[in-house]
Amino acid sequence: MPKADANKWVNDYSDMLYRFALPRVNDAELAKDLVQETFLAAWRNAENFKGEISEKNWLFTILKNKIIDHYRKASTRLTENFSDRATEDNFFDEENHWEKNAYPKDWKADDTKNIETKEFYEVLEKCKAKLKEIQNTVFSMKYFDGFESEEICKELGITPSNYWVLLHRAKLQLRSCLEKNWFIK
Amino acid sequence: MAKLSISCKEATKFISQKEESKLSFKQRVQLLAHLGICGLCKMFAKQNKIIVNASKHLHEHITETLSETDKRSMIEKLENS
Repeated sequence: MPKADANKWVNDYSDMLYRFALPRVNDAELAKDLVQETFLAAWRNAENFKGEISEKNWLFTILKNKIIDHYRKASTRLTENFSDRATEDNFFDEENHWEKNAYPKDWKADDTKNIETKEFYEVLEKCKAKLKEIQNTVFSMKYFDGFESEEICKELGITPSNYWVLLHRAKLQLRSCLEKNWFIK
Repeated sequence: MAKLSISCKEATKFISQKEESKLSFKQRVQLLAHLGICGLCKMFAKQNKIIVNASKHLHEHITETLSETDKRSMIEKLENS
């Protein structure tokens, strides 16, 4: 592989790949490592690259696999103390109705203009970054990558009931964080 | 008669399950009945839609970049591999 290609790859694709990985793993260092590993894997297999898909898509395919691998490895560790976490739910009272200080407030967001701004997405990214790793994983697989719940459960080795609890909690946290930091400041 | 009423906790979870058509007929009726009488969960349902739609577009709005140092080190690692 000629020297110029390493430069070209990194200059053309590294930021793109990094921005893909970052919200999926919520960790800048890890996202950087995944991009580096993607380039290395592609580099080692460069002679097998047939050009059937674009170089860019090829790199993204490798990165996606690396991210799924990471999710798989992490999920064992992250779901070990899963049951301990069931108690920290403070959105609902003992009757499972909304806790008074967690009542959803009217966002008055019928006019969606105010949420199509760069600033809104920055807040959303920050709120998402506050999710627990396993919640973020489930949420990202579902809404970024469009996986169905069955696939997510299979990849992560979790039960459907755990999956729905994780997704539910991720949404409750996001909702509350967005409300406090964007809609009703 | 089967229990018709569900809690807010169940209702908000059903809202996510409904996105994947994972509710039984009975659960759909329960959710509808709950949303008919619970303004808070109705609000949650609306906000859930906003969150889901915005999340699908989040990647278009991410602006972080790698530093030049990071990029140089990536290039070096490739060349030395």
